[in-house]
Amino acid sequence: MAQLNSLCFTFIILCGTVGAVFEDQVGKFDWRQQYLGKVRFSHFDTYMQSSKKILLATEKNVFAAVNTRTGDLFWRHVDKSGPEGNIDALLQHGQDAVVVVGNGRLLRSWEINIGALNWEILLDSGSFQAACLIGQQDNVKHVAVLKKTVISLHYLSNGHQKWIENLPESENVDYQTLYSGGNGEVYILGVVPHSHMAIVVYSAEDGEIIKQISVDAPWLSNIPSSCAVVGNGMLICVDPTAESLYMLDLHEESQFTQIPFQSLGYEVSPDFHPVLVSTQPNQARQPLSEFFLQLGHEHYLLLLLSNGQIVTLRDFKPAMLVSFATAGEKTVAAVMSPKNKTACSLNLYNAETGRRLLDTTLIFNLDPNGGQPEKLYVQAFLKKDDAVGYRVMVQTEDHTLTFLQQPGRVMWTREEALSDVVTMEMVDLPLTGTQAELEGEFGKKADGLLAMVMKRLSSQLILLQAWISHLWKLFYDARKPRSQVKNEVTIENLSRDEFNLQKMMVMVTASGKLFGIDSKTGSILWKHYLENIPSNAAFKLMVQRTTAHFPHPPQCTLLIKDKDTGLATLHVFNPIFGKKSHVSPPALPQPILQSFLLPLMDQDYAKVLLLVDDQYKVTAFPSTKNVLQQLQETASSIFFYLVDASQGRLSGYRLRTDLSTVLIWEVFVPTEVQKIVTIKGKRPNEHVHSQGRVMGDRSVLYKYLNPNLLAVVTESTDLHQERSFVGIMLIDGVTGRIIHEAVQRKARGPVHVVHSENWVVYEYWSTKSRRNEFSVIELYEGMELYNSTTFSSLDRPFAPQVLQQSYIFPSSISAVEATLTEKGITSRHLLIGLPSGGILSLPKMFLDPRRPEIISEQSREENLIPYAPELLIRTEWFINYNQTVSRVRGIYTAPSGLESTCLVVAYGLDIYQTRVYPSKQFDVLKDDYDYMLISSVLFALFFATMISKRLAEVKLLNRAWR
Amino acid sequence: MLSTAKVSLLWFCIQAAFVVVLCFTDMETGPGAGVSTQPNGDRFKIEGRAIVPGIKTQDWVSTARVQVDGEEYVGFLRTDGSFAVNDVPSGSYVVEVVSPNYRFEPVRVDITSKGKMRTRLVNYIKTSEVIRQQYPLQIRASGLQTYFMKRETWGWTDFLMNPMVLMMVLPLLIIVLLPKVVNTNDPEMRKEIEQSMNMLSPNPELPDMSELVTKFFSGSKGSSKAGGSSKGTRPAVKRR
Repeated sequence: MAQLNSLCFTFIILCGTVGAVFEDQVGKFDWRQQYLGKVRFSHFDTYMQSSKKILLATEKNVFAAVNTRTGDLFWRHVDKSGPEGNIDALLQHGQDAVVVVGNGRLLRSWEINIGALNWEILLDSGSFQAACLIGQQDNVKHVAVLKKTVISLHYLSNGHQKWIENLPESENVDYQTLYSGGNGEVYILGVVPHSHMAIVVYSAEDGEIIKQISVDAPWLSNIPSSCAVVGNGMLICVDPTAESLYMLDLHEESQFTQIPFQSLGYEVSPDFHPVLVSTQPNQARQPLSEFFLQLGHEHYLLLLLSNGQIVTLRDFKPAMLVSFATAGEKTVAAVMSPKNKTACSLNLYNAETGRRLLDTTLIFNLDPNGGQPEKLYVQAFLKKDDAVGYRVMVQTEDHTLTFLQQPGRVMWTREEALSDVVTMEMVDLPLTGTQAELEGEFGKKADGLLAMVMKRLSSQLILLQAWISHLWKLFYDARKPRSQVKNEVTIENLSRDEFNLQKMMVMVTASGKLFGIDSKTGSILWKHYLENIPSNAAFKLMVQRTTAHFPHPPQCTLLIKDKDTGLATLHVFNPIFGKKSHVSPPALPQPILQSFLLPLMDQDYAKVLLLVDDQYKVTAFPSTKNVLQQLQETASSIFFYLVDASQGRLSGYRLRTDLSTVLIWEVFVPTEVQKIVTIKGKRPNEHVHSQGRVMGDRSVLYKYLNPNLLAVVTESTDLHQERSFVGIMLIDGVTGRIIHEAVQRKARGPVHVVHSENWVVYEYWSTKSRRNEFSVIELYEGMELYNSTTFSSLDRPFAPQVLQQSYIFPSSISAVEATLTEKGITSRHLLIGLPSGGILSLPKMFLDPRRPEIISEQSREENLIPYAPELLIRTEWFINYNQTVSRVRGIYTAPSGLESTCLVVAYGLDIYQTRVYPSKQFDVLKDDYDYMLISSVLFALFFATMISKRLAEVKLLNRAWR
Repeated sequence: MLSTAKVSLLWFCIQAAFVVVLCFTDMETGPGAGVSTQPNGDRFKIEGRAIVPGIKTQDWVSTARVQVDGEEYVGFLRTDGSFAVNDVPSGSYVVEVVSPNYRFEPVRVDITSKGKMRTRLVNYIKTSEVIRQQYPLQIRASGLQTYFMKRETWGWTDFLMNPMVLMMVLPLLIIVLLPKVVNTNDPEMRKEIEQSMNMLSPNPELPDMSELVTKFFSGSKGSSKAGGSSKGTRPAVKRR
């Protein structure tokens, strides 16, 4: 009964405190963008002439079908991340797409119209080499998978294995590729480096070896990169060192015939490995006899093999990219060549003759803030008059996909770099000119009374004018049909709204492309591609100057660090326009260990960034005289910490006036037992409104609000489920004092931590009970505050009281963050990204170590929820309703101008932006506020008064007459 | 702006100019960290079927997938709604069909080292409790996911049934209707009423409040009875 009671109580509280999404709010404040990742394989659905699908398999282990007209997703399947979900090959036949996953672990067939699996089978272990469709008499029925030691053939219809054969001499021969010309034979090509090439021919019917040849090829080491099968089973290879082509007829036992480039009149660019590109439009037939030979970075040749002779059809120089495409029976070659600095032109050529097709020029404009074109995917189709038309998808270095139609109309672009956002910040938009003028009024003082009044009046006039023009615009727009009204946001008309709800999202992606996205609409306002970013770079984005210091432009600094060498570079830019700042950042010749922003500002209101190098020397940016002077004055109170996870060393340093540092404390975590996983400090822009909590008996329990507190999470190196543990240490960053230490036995990571105010929440996997658990630690000073005006780490003699409680959470999580509001009055929620794609908004009051097991009068007075071991996941608390976000990597929260409202961006494979109201909208009228009702009641009462007054008068008059 | 500068300065002083900023060391927790699986152990297959009653499978399977212990193992649905998660070592797992639109209950699947399967209800509190389910899994959607709260809608009945409104409307009706029902022109009756009124009001000398207000607003001399009809409107007049 008591449990029931408490349940009821919980339920009442739930309904009272949690504001969920209402159905009419869908899409009002929120938007989602779905991404796929860098494209690895792509196939146009050529099964039907009218099909609008393109199949994309990406490096993010995503397989999707995209609408070629709009760029939207038809469907998308997200596999496990990491090498186990890696897509190795994509083959398409008719309605089915066959995919090899996880280094040849699985073979899957997808039905591309519905987006569902046809079948999935587990393949034998062994590293994957190649896969190919096998046709026989114009009929493709099988798929062959070549692994290191075996080859297997599977039916396309159900995936069943037809036969599997061990490859001969597989310990010596490195089998690399396979080929089928549609005559029921499967050719497997392997190589013994610096010796010979091994060719094994199997019968597709029963898996018997028909032929086994070995051909001398001491120059060959890698078949896929240097060979191609052309025409009637002719293998052509290039050897860059001998500068020649080698030819071999696979049907006849013979030797490679060497054809030096010189005899053909070609010249290879120095240090360039020539590449062969052939095409096999129909898997059941032979490849075409035409092929491309790339001889330099911008030099291609279209060649024809006829009767063992190589004929040059056309020489393309300069040409950046080439691709074959087939429509019906016609095969064309698309060639992209540079036109000028900002544009490229594409042309179609008849593959058989090399003649240019008329009216097939397409202009591709290069984005100055993007990368160079990298890949070309061509969709050719037959027009009504049997001419060949085409559309192209161009992939550039910055992972952007651009789909173009003749004569160069961009149908859509997809910024696939956004599938891998590493870090982000939200920056306030700048004020408009009028707003800046109004703000300026309050800044100046000594102007005299009259001048002030005049200024006031004039600014009011400006406001009135702006308001009238706004009304006029509203009226003007209202007359137009809704579809025509476009509130297009451009950089020019960007300005802060009255509640500062619209901000600029600055997103940094792993590819090195930076984006500026309008948080209201999600449209990309600027992009900037940083070239030469190391592939293993770590990024840290800092806002040095906000937009509040007009006329100084806002300034963001991106620290890009190579993880291997530790060398770093700085990119300084304006976050509103994305332009690189003219401020020159300091050169950083030494590896950087730590970087942090000080609350100090230089005379131009830019916060000072300090960078600590491996000599423990500090570099300041900006490093003007003013800054250095300020640093000298405050150096004795600037502390920072360093972490060396590999040695388990945590150390604290203090700055000296000459910008050198002195070691203050050191803590060692024995690396043989446990390793440091995460360190979380508090967010510097966080405000705590109340110093304590009022208890049921009207006394106050003061919070321990140490801004220097660090939460250090460790995991045991022993992963055995009986002995593994997760540890958490709370360390004061100034003194190195360990405030609290807790260990969760029989637990392991991944650990997710949130550290805010006076609490730390962390989540781990309990190996004993096989469930996820949340644990919360809260720190309190006690009933009295030691020094209520300032907090100093050096002068806190009493250790805080520590309360801890743990809960069961019925799902694993992928990211967690706490809401943040401007003044910290609003209650806090935890935003939890779930693997199912939902983002759960869990009130912090459920994670409160003071939740009582037995309800008392006092706990009820305090509104404490009785303790229940399990936290519930209610779908009503999902802030993103059915707009699931795949693989949430991080959740970013930012305060808005309204205390009730917190802006949330969840990023991962997708990006989702919304607003949350943890304590409901207490400071603005709700968006469902019934203006109609209020005004109609008012009018009704008004008229009722008038009428009854009139009636009363008449009655009085009548009475007087009587 | 000045205020922010001030605040930050204050913040700076209070903190004893101490700064600890997030470390720039590379310590992102990898999702696959610490998976303890026996490399040599056999791998098994979890099979089952998800059903959404009354909905064609091709309408929902493309947005759904099967998750085993979060994203530890992932499976996809076939065109008929059946699924198989391949390559799973022995152990105990929570299998869940995830769809943005339909709600499926999770199921715990135990796989022994010999590959025997046992399916039971998920109970995170009593982890050893066994309530058997059938295997291969038959997971039936228990309905649409409910993401939205109902808005408090406003209707006429709510307004009328409000006790405050009832309290105001009923006396009004009595005041308006009573004089019609009872013939006030009858002098005997009037006398009776007047008497009862006098009985009710303890002090007849005290001026009637309603009368005062009526006089004040109408500005004409009216008898106290005439105020009766304007009674209903008075609160509204006050509001204006």
